[in-house]
Amino acid sequence: MDLDKIQRLLEIVADSGMAEVKVEEDDFRLTVRAMPKVDASAVPPAPIVMTAPAAAPAPAPASPAAPAPSAPPASASAEPGSGAGESLALAPIVGTFYEAPSPDSDAFVKVGDRVEVGQTLCIIEAMKLMNEVPAEESGTIKQVLVQNGSPVEYDQPLFVIEK
Amino acid sequence: MIKKVLIANRGEIALRIIRTCREMGIATVAVYSTADRDSLPVKFADEAVCIGPPPSAKSYLHIPSIIAAAEVTGADAVHPGYGFLSENAEFARICDDHDLTFIGPKPDTIARMGDKSVAKETMVAAGVPVVPGSDGAVADVKEGLAAARQAGFPVMIKASAGGGGRGMRMARDESEFEKLFVAASTEATNAFGDGRLYIEKFVEEPRHIEIQLVGDGQGTVVHFGERECSIQRRHQKLLEEAPSPIVDPDLRQRMGEAAIAGALAVDYRGAGTVEFLVDKNRDFYFMEMNTRIQVEHPVTEEVTDTDLIEWQLRVAEGEKITSGNHLPEGWSIECRINAEDPFRNFSPSPGTITAFHSPKGRGVRCDTHVFAGYTVPPTYDSMIAKLIVSETTRDRAITKMLRALDEFIIEGVKTTVPFHQQLLQDDRFRAGDFDTKFLERFELTPPA
Repeated sequence: MDLDKIQRLLEIVADSGMAEVKVEEDDFRLTVRAMPKVDASAVPPAPIVMTAPAAAPAPAPASPAAPAPSAPPASASAEPGSGAGESLALAPIVGTFYEAPSPDSDAFVKVGDRVEVGQTLCIIEAMKLMNEVPAEESGTIKQVLVQNGSPVEYDQPLFVIEK
Repeated sequence: MIKKVLIANRGEIALRIIRTCREMGIATVAVYSTADRDSLPVKFADEAVCIGPPPSAKSYLHIPSIIAAAEVTGADAVHPGYGFLSENAEFARICDDHDLTFIGPKPDTIARMGDKSVAKETMVAAGVPVVPGSDGAVADVKEGLAAARQAGFPVMIKASAGGGGRGMRMARDESEFEKLFVAASTEATNAFGDGRLYIEKFVEEPRHIEIQLVGDGQGTVVHFGERECSIQRRHQKLLEEAPSPIVDPDLRQRMGEAAIAGALAVDYRGAGTVEFLVDKNRDFYFMEMNTRIQVEHPVTEEVTDTDLIEWQLRVAEGEKITSGNHLPEGWSIECRINAEDPFRNFSPSPGTITAFHSPKGRGVRCDTHVFAGYTVPPTYDSMIAKLIVSETTRDRAITKMLRALDEFIIEGVKTTVPFHQQLLQDDRFRAGDFDTKFLERFELTPPA
């Protein structure tokens, strides 16, 4: 991977609002992590985004993988939940994220919707169980950070809510 | 064939499993709690999924989260390591239900060996010797005395509801039996509201010696010799070695055959350990079976030149065992390095490791997940490294271990390194003359 590619990757990460991206090739490993610029108490550490299942792993490399270069913060302004009066709704459990109760239904919430404490924001499926995720704070949905049907891990930010 | 293994564990054993998987071309998924976000298994696995907050009950023991992590990553097998869910029959069954290969025995086997009385009955039926004694509680002194005579004095009189040494007496001969029986019964009634007692032969100078085995669940079980695990403090092993200083080829063969007979009785699949008490006459008695890989498995790997994690994966894939038993060559010792202060009653010493250098050189292996800057969380167990040496003889292995311990630099937390240094210089230890009570009498010299 050359510098141009790394530069492009940084831009993609910054624009997407993703917290972290890992790239792995046979003799190369890169981790890009966005650094949230907010008070530490409000926001959990950046989670690791699950990548698509890799092909067969490389056999144990003869030399250790290149250490991941430390990337500069991808973008401060693009960081979700970083603005004043904003908070993040986090995944309470690992599983698959669904924005609607069934494939034919409307999403529980969309950008611009007003939500109240206890209102269902989404569903996370774990072990065939549909776990409804309630809002812990009221406000307006400013951003949906996860795509319908994608895996989420514990503590991963799902929504930006503006108070 | 297994393509992707989810490792439902943390620390050094997660790392250990990742290493073998990589060598076998199997992809790995690490799961972790928020306390382990910056851990090495998370770095070295092909994928990593955060499954919950630090308390084990909400992460490493939380079955729905682990199964969900396997599903979203497309893992087709689960390795439970040791501890946590490794001997949980329900978890093994749920893995089966979700088409995940549980790398371990069948759920029914785990359940049978996990229940002490069922395990004992199974072993008796298979002809494996167990500690002689009464069949459960005895009705009165008369029945107790009959059971004691049959088991042979000295005997232990124990409370059925007991624990913590209360309602327990040792009777050396018939003359004192009745008096001690009555005293134990009174004490048990006062302590537990239940005065029932049972009789068990007192095992003199007991050593804890265990047989490593692997079964393929298709009619074959082979053993890998024994491990000597008598050096323990409050039932926590601190140093293990293979082979045992008191086991000769004949005893090894008899213990190995007994362990295999017990495992075959449950059509055992996977790696397992049969623990025995061995007394001063070198008679051995079944204690329990552990249906998982054990912390101290590396000493067996070193003296039998095998990779037991690879064996686990292969039999889980349905491979048949075609080899015979694996007998030890040379000598291997493992010291458990815990973040504990041996001079303060081994109290836990969590914190941040500020400097770390592990010993190296020929015949030295250090299985560890820590590094300089790593914070030992107070949430999990305190083991931070396993230092393993292998040599041609026991004397040479002890010398090598002392050399390796001298090289170990760990700053920021207290460790058990000074304990091991004193133990390895003790005359009785060096002579191989010890039993499971050895550490109760062993006195550490405080640091100058």
